[in-house]
Amino acid sequence: MTRPALSGRVAVALVVVGAVLMLVPLLWVLALSLKSNAELMADTHSVFNGRYTLQNYADLVGDGQVFRWIANSLIVSLGMTAGVLILSSLAGYGFARLEFPGRRLLFVIVLFGLAVPEQAVIIARHQLFSWAELHNTHGALILPGLSAPFGVFLMTQYFRAIPKEIDEAALLDNASRFTIFWKLLLPLTIPAQATLGIFTFLSAWNDYWWPLISATNKEMFTLTVGIASTQMNFAQTEGLGFLMAQAVFAGLPILIVYLLFQKYIVQAVAGAAGR
Amino acid sequence: MRHACALRSVDDPLHVNYSDKNTNREDRLATVELTNISKCFGRTAVIDGLSMSLNPNEFMVFLGPSGCGKSTLLRMIAGLETVDSGEIRIGGRRVDHLPPGERGVAMVFQHYALYPHMTIRDNMAFGLRNVGVARDEIAARVAAAARSLEIEHLLERRPGQLSGGQRQRAAIARAIVKQPQVFLFDEPLSNLDASLRVRTRVELAGLHQRLGTTMIFVTHDQVEAMTLADRIVVLNDCRIEQVGTPMDIYLRPATSFVAGFVGSPRINLLPVRIEAAAEGLARATLPDGTLVQTAVPTAALPQGDTTVGLRAEHVRIASEGAAARGTARVVERLGERTLVHVELKGGAMLVAEDAGLSTVRAGDEVGLSIDGARAHLFDAAGRGHHAAG
Ligand SMILES: Nc1ncnc2c1ncn2[C@@H]1O[C@H](COP(=O)(O)OP(=O)(O)OP(=O)(O)O)[C@@H](O)[C@H]1O
Ligand SMILES: [Mg+2]
Repeated sequence: MTRPALSGRVAVALVVVGAVLMLVPLLWVLALSLKSNAELMADTHSVFNGRYTLQNYADLVGDGQVFRWIANSLIVSLGMTAGVLILSSLAGYGFARLEFPGRRLLFVIVLFGLAVPEQAVIIARHQLFSWAELHNTHGALILPGLSAPFGVFLMTQYFRAIPKEIDEAALLDNASRFTIFWKLLLPLTIPAQATLGIFTFLSAWNDYWWPLISATNKEMFTLTVGIASTQMNFAQTEGLGFLMAQAVFAGLPILIVYLLFQKYIVQAVAGAAGR
Repeated sequence: MRHACALRSVDDPLHVNYSDKNTNREDRLATVELTNISKCFGRTAVIDGLSMSLNPNEFMVFLGPSGCGKSTLLRMIAGLETVDSGEIRIGGRRVDHLPPGERGVAMVFQHYALYPHMTIRDNMAFGLRNVGVARDEIAARVAAAARSLEIEHLLERRPGQLSGGQRQRAAIARAIVKQPQVFLFDEPLSNLDASLRVRTRVELAGLHQRLGTTMIFVTHDQVEAMTLADRIVVLNDCRIEQVGTPMDIYLRPATSFVAGFVGSPRINLLPVRIEAAAEGLARATLPDGTLVQTAVPTAALPQGDTTVGLRAEHVRIASEGAAARGTARVVERLGERTLVHVELKGGAMLVAEDAGLSTVRAGDEVGLSIDGARAHLFDAAGRGHHAAG
């Protein structure tokens, strides 16, 4: 009787330690963002006492540049999410429900896409976008993310899992192919859409490498690239509070996404682990 | 409470009163004709040159073992499977090139196939909305069908919130609102537990009487087939073995397959030697030498290997006047009767019937009286030969 209870307590303790390890840097960022830059330049120990201020946030709002970057990040992340969801759903439906020659081969090719790392294609991609004169556009930041083999794979599996009897009942109910897709099958894939959408949004939001390469114009920076650009070096002492305020700001959308879709994220992670 | 309630509706047939003026009852009395239907999957023929026709208002059951092509045949009528060759007509209209929605059929699937994210009301209304039936008309039809199947209180629920039996009713209701010319059922009872299956079976019979629509029902359960059908089509191995009323099928099986498939316990099939006896009737000699005087005319019976079919109820345990003797090996007490598996001299097994309060025990020596007039004979090709008349 005592052993499971004990191991349970050990597990809780480990989770608490893990949570603290992850939370402390975040809280540290939050605390620093509430101190004046001048004070931090002298000594970051002052975080634990003295005056707190919202001046950094006021500067942030006054500056405006960061809003431009947030807007870029939102456009890119939302655009990529919408594109991936639409394309993966259509492709998944096709692979799961349509009979056409070469279907298996095509699916295998898509799966190969899972194995190709971004690093392997980045130079060619850069040259391609240079040639097409697409750099420093939102399109350049969105397009590469639209080839989403994982999304296609996930949606294909999801559509396959829906019994064909549903389609057949609908055919007898005079439903067109589009009605069946739009009104019956697509609503049934909402959990998968949510999972795929969240992961796509988060990875687009957090992406650093490709925006760093493609967006060279300050106006086209995404938030990650923008914030990094205001950082001089790793031992920076100047404007530390302002930098931290930017970081807090950058994290907010993620927090909102998480709070809104918490249920689906937990399901997705649990599902991935359970399988 | 619900149980009693559900049963009452069968004794007290509610007449489903549709408010639809366009479809009167006569329109829905449709014949179904299949002419020379063939179907292959890849290189295996599943249905081969099959023809049959259904009368209007008929309850037809497709009966056969698993994999014999019953579902395929039903799905071809529904339009879910293409026909390789042949014609399908419903109500005289050729439909084999029409999409499923335009054939005037409604289908109830084995796993119900209700739309999981829609309420039962929307499930029922979906097909009507797709063809642009007016809103109040839809409401009226849904209400009538829901009342008829006693699922009014479930209309706002989703399929996941219903029990298996309730889902079954919802699926039937969804078929009814379409007012089809023909109902198709693919093993709709096989997912229900035993008591619910019996109840739903009775209700289906009641439904057929109320609606008077042509129905085709696929099953591999002979009891379902016998109790529901006006006529049964026995299928085996992509062929029709026999088409006939339940009693026809039972009393005059066209082939040894039909005889073996229909009836419980399974009919006794034993190889016999045949000789002509008085009045041109065949006399059979069982493997142990017992003589059985049948009522089958020898004239129609071809030479060659012959099998006798004896149902257990025509082979009775008898203490005196026994035609044959054997040893009881297994005794199955079913309550109202007892089945005794008897080993004849030479090792052939025969299932015999005895009274419910039988005193026979395994290992006992028993006598058998055989009602030869009820025996069936099957020739080498498996074709059945029966007493005249
Ligand atoms: N889509 C298909 N592709 C290839 N073969 C098929 C297909 N559908 C059915 N078959 C084959 O056709 C035969 C008849 O199948 P069908 O589903 O009609 O049998 P059934 O009589 O309904 O059996 P059950 O009682 O098990 O439902 C089977 O041998 C099956 O393997
Ligand atoms: Mg079947």
